[in-house]
Parts: sequence; structure tokens; C-alpha cells
Amino acid sequence: MSTILIVTEIQNGALREASYELAAIAQKLDGASVKSVVIGQGVDALAAEFASKGGGEVFVADDPALAHYSVEAHGTAIRAAVEASGADLVLLSNTPSGWDVAPRIAAALDAAFVSDCFDITLDGGKPVCRRRVFNGKLNATLATSADKVVATVQPGATAAFEGSTDGSVSKLDVAIDAGGLKARFVEIKQSAATGVDLTKAEVIVSGGRGVGDPEKFSEVIKPLADALGGAMGASRPVVDAGWLPHEYQVGSSGQTVQPKLYIACGISGAIQHLVGMKSSNFIIAVNKDPDAPIFEIADLGVVGDLFEVIPALTKAITAAKG
Amino acid sequence: MKIMVCLKQVPHQDARLDINGDGTWIQEDNIKFEINSYDTYALEEALLIKDAGEAEVLVVSIGPDRVTQALRTALGMGADRAIHVNDPEIQGSDSLGMAKVLAAVAKEENPDLILAGLMSEDANYAAVPPMLAELVGIPHTTAAVKVERSNGTLTCDREIEGGANEVVTLEAPCLVAVQSGLNQVRYASLKGIMAAKKKPLDVKTAADLGVADQVGAGAAKVSVTQIAPPPKGDTAELVEGSPDEIAAKLVTKIKELGLL
Ligand SMILES: Cc1cc2nc3c(=O)[nH]c(=O)nc-3n(C[C@H](O)[C@H](O)[C@H](O)COP(=O)(O)OP(=O)(O)OC[C@H]3O[C@@H](n4cnc5c(N)ncnc54)[C@H](O)[C@@H]3O)c2cc1C
Ligand SMILES: Nc1ncnc2c1ncn2[C@@H]1O[C@H](COP(=O)(O)O)[C@@H](O)[C@H]1O
Repeated sequence: MSTILIVTEIQNGALREASYELAAIAQKLDGASVKSVVIGQGVDALAAEFASKGGGEVFVADDPALAHYSVEAHGTAIRAAVEASGADLVLLSNTPSGWDVAPRIAAALDAAFVSDCFDITLDGGKPVCRRRVFNGKLNATLATSADKVVATVQPGATAAFEGSTDGSVSKLDVAIDAGGLKARFVEIKQSAATGVDLTKAEVIVSGGRGVGDPEKFSEVIKPLADALGGAMGASRPVVDAGWLPHEYQVGSSGQTVQPKLYIACGISGAIQHLVGMKSSNFIIAVNKDPDAPIFEIADLGVVGDLFEVIPALTKAITAAKG
Repeated sequence: MKIMVCLKQVPHQDARLDINGDGTWIQEDNIKFEINSYDTYALEEALLIKDAGEAEVLVVSIGPDRVTQALRTALGMGADRAIHVNDPEIQGSDSLGMAKVLAAVAKEENPDLILAGLMSEDANYAAVPPMLAELVGIPHTTAAVKVERSNGTLTCDREIEGGANEVVTLEAPCLVAVQSGLNQVRYASLKGIMAAKKKPLDVKTAADLGVADQVGAGAAKVSVTQIAPPPKGDTAELVEGSPDEIAAKLVTKIKELGLL
């Protein structure tokens, strides 16, 4: 690997933490020169900041058409940066915009592509990527053999780069034909405030696909939540199936919660669920599969049938309260 | 209008995951398979468009003989036609190889809309759909939770973080990779399954599609070299016993936490 290009991302007017995580990966790969691209409108200051904090030689793609993420406009800017940098490894974060544009860039470059890596190392100069498969139940190692490699990195998998570096900033010429775009950004719709605010609950009892059907939520999960004076939560498949409304969903596309106690019942522990609850003070997991990834982050684990364990627990708690 | 739906058949979500002999994937013999859950939402979205007006729904899947079953199910749900790309030479392809095969189909069929799943439940790559859009030369979006059509334009809500959605418009022809939950997926009715037996299911090889030299392990730029259970870190302390014993131990802990 001779040159790495970091594709940074801006969120709420600042560079995302995930961009500094890419810098940490790039900086630790031996002998590579690090370059970056900052894409947006009026982003010179952010580019200067990134150049001094691990970004190396930073290109700025500044255009009104880049103010919001748009797959074609951002894709054009990224490809211009790949060309200008001569990069052979292009790193993006596996965020909604990263996963949208990165495979497209890889196809355009006829490059190797690996998504959602938690680790990238070099073997004989070629990137070796490690990532989860089967929703976190197994890890895979992938070898790449191509002149160019595009990879996305799972946010939060690596500590952010914290050192200071000598970098530089230069302007990147990108010709975006704003009128010719076939995919257009319209607006961001924030979800309307809802009745259930899980972020304030001290105790959350969450059920997953393992709960099996909506009746079981009211028969098994809700009584435990009530006994503990807590709230009920859910994983995504429960909400997708219409068993509970969206406001109960915990995870990357639901609520991020931090209760004193989180009890996960019949939830396997996919990363998108974990990011929403892993900061809970204490986690108890009940799952019949001893290899379920949820046990990796739980403090206490019960390998067993939730339909036996949870009713017994509800009874014991009711008894303990007298 | 013509809609092409990309379906992948994946191990059933409750299938046992044993690692195969050379340690590079799971043991796929003797386990149950199903249509990738994200793809069932893509198919349902296509069928909703068909129900609302005139549309032909073509389902396409690359995979071995067992994939016939997935395509028959899709036809039973209401798809009109199926293409099964069945070719041992495709084995070992990376995402780009798969996208090249699907792009060859798309170039022959010229659909107005391609629908796919956000990602496959086995590999979790989420790579093929944007690659396919690039190779065909059409706009795309991913993680769509709502799709609306008017004239030649699609308006999609795509899910981003923090419970927000990004609204994008796409000019047809285009590709949409859907997120789970955007509709309620129908089941194949008995009548549908009977009717499906008469619907066309074409089988093609990479050579038929003119992409023989672009697929397989030889052309792949990415390969899985090892698959293994995640290393056990400091995992949960296990609580054992009868349900009542377990409950008693958990109650002690919950009291310690000051929550009882
Ligand atoms: C972009 C994106 C965003 C996402 N956002 C979210 C999100 O916000 N929140 C979220 O949760 N997911 C999200 N997901 C989905 C995520 O990838 C997983 O598919 C999901 O979390 C799995 O839910 P689950 O654990 O309930 O189901 P599964 O993974 O199917 O697990 C069910 C578990 O139940 C266990 N089980 C079954 N029966 C019993 C029983 N009787 N007793 C005990 N255990 C039992 C099984 O062993 C299994 O481990 C997202 C995915 C993507 C791609
Ligand atoms: N073998 C295949 N046959 C048909 N469609 C596929 C195949 N592999 C992937 N796809 C499509 O691409 C989506 C994402 O898959 P992946 O990129 O492998 O995670 C799937 O949900 C399918 O819609």
C-alpha cells in the first residue's frame, strides 16, 4: 500500500468521530502516505483541522451541490480525490452515506471492496480486512488482490486518532453538473416526538425476534417491565413485523438508551442493536443460544428459554417487593 | 413498466452455523434456506406497485439448484417471471462479480426499476446493489423505508441515523435497495403456488450472459480466507440452575443495583 485516501464525513457542522477513527487506521498502516478529502460547502476550516489531526495531505471539495450528501455529487468528488491522490486504498466509514456511495465507487474503479471492517492490516502490502458476518455470530477474514481497494470501516470499532500531525490543505477541482443529477437530496425529516421516551427509563426489558409473537410481549415481557417499574423495548425485527410501534426500537435506527438495568430477552446482539444499548449500566441477557453475541457485552447471562426464565423472574420480583 | 427484483437465497435465520471443511464459510449441506429477509420486502414493494397498476415483476437470483425453490416462492407470491443464473463457474465470485452478472441481466431486460435488499443476512456485505446501479449507469438509493412514484420520478425516504429519514428523488430507470419493515410482506397463497408452476423460469449461465470471464474465484478481487467464531472476550458471568434458582440469583443482583 503506498497511499491511503480517507473520505471524511461531516455531521452537524463538524467532522465525525468516525473520520478520526479512519485516521487512526491509516496512521497505523506501515509505510503508507496518508491523504484525505473533506467534502461539503464552506469546509476549509474543517479541512485545516483534519490536516493537523491525522488527515495528512487534505483535499477540499467545496461546492454548494455538496452541502448535503448526494450519491452522485459526493461520488464525483470522491472519484476526483482518488485520482488526485493516486490512492490505492480508499477508506470510508460504514455510515448511511458511506455504505451508499462506497460500493458504487468501487465498481466504477473496478476495485476490490470490503464493507464494515472492524480491522484492517497489511499482508505483503495488500489489505487484509476483518469483519462480522451472520449478524455478528461469526468473524470473517478477507484477503484483497487488486490495484485499488475500497473499504468501509465500522464506526466505533477503533479508537479515534488523537495525535497531532503536520498536514496540508489544497483545493480539489470538482465539476459537478448540479442540473444533471439524477439522484437529488430533498430534505431531512426528523422523526416526530413520540409518547415513549426510553432514554429516561431506569430499567428497560427488551424483547427480540425470539419472543416469537406480539401476544408474548404482553404476556411475558411487559409484566417483567411493570414489576420492575421500567419500560419495554424491542429489537428491529419486532418493530418491522408490526408487533410494537417504532418508538420501542432500540439501536442504530431506533433509540440510544443508557438505563441502570437493561434486560435483553431473545435478542441475538447484532451490532446495530448493541450500539443502542451497550452503555447501559448493567446488562442481563437471556438467550437459548450460548454463542449469541449478546453475551459478549452482558454482565450476567442466562443460557435458557426466556419463556421459563422471565415468568419465574417476574414472580420472584413481585414476591421480593412483598 | 418492468420491475426487476434481485433475490438472494440465504441460510434460514435459525439454521445451525457450522464451519465448513476448509474454514472459509459455513457448512451449507443439509441446512434450510430461505429468501433473504430484506429481499422479501423488495419483492413485496414490487408486487404493491404491480397491484396498483400495470407492472411486470421479474425476479432474478444467482445461485445453485436449491435457488429454484426461492424463485418458485417468489412466483407464488405474484412475480410474473424468474431468471435463475445457475452456473458452478460463478462460485467464488466477490460482490463485484455478482453485480456484473446482475448487470448483464439488467442490460438484457431494461427494467424501469430495480429493487434489491439493503444487505444479505449471511454475508452482510450490502455491496451488490450500489455496484449494480453503477454498472448499469442508473441512480440509486439504499435503506429505503418508503417508495413513492409519480411519472418518471421516485421519491424515497432513506433511513439515516437517529431516527431521521433523508428524502431523495431518483429519475427512472433507477435502483432502490430497501430496508426491512417498509411494508408487510404477503405469503404465497395456495392458488398462487399452483399458478406459479406455469410461470416462466429461465435458467442461464455466465456464458449465456457474456460475463464468463468476469466471474468466479479467478476474477474475484476479494476472498474469504477464514471464518471463525468471535474470540471470547470477557463475556457475561453465567447464571445457572432451575428457572426459580436463576430468578432468585437475578433478584439478589437487582437488589444490589438498588432497583428493588
Ligand atoms: C442499517 C441497519 C439498521 C438497523 N437498526 C437496528 C436497530 O436500530 N435495532 C435493532 O435491534 N436492529 C437493527 N438492525 C437489524 C440487526 O441487524 C438485526 O437483524 C436485529 O437486531 C436482530 O434482532 P433480534 O436479535 O431480535 O433477532 P435475531 O438475530 O433473529 O435473534 C433472535 C434471538 O432469539 C433467541 N431465541 C429464540 N427463541 C428463544 C427463546 N425461547 N428463549 C431465549 N432466546 C430465544 C435466538 O437464539 C436468537 O439469538 C439494523 C440493521 C441494519 C442493516
Ligand atoms: N446471488 C444473488 N442473487 C440475486 N441477488 C443478489 C445476490 N446477492 C446479492 N443480491 C442482492 O443484493 C442485495 C445485497 O446483498 P449483499 O451485497 O451480498 O449483502 C441482496 O439483498 C439482493 O437483493
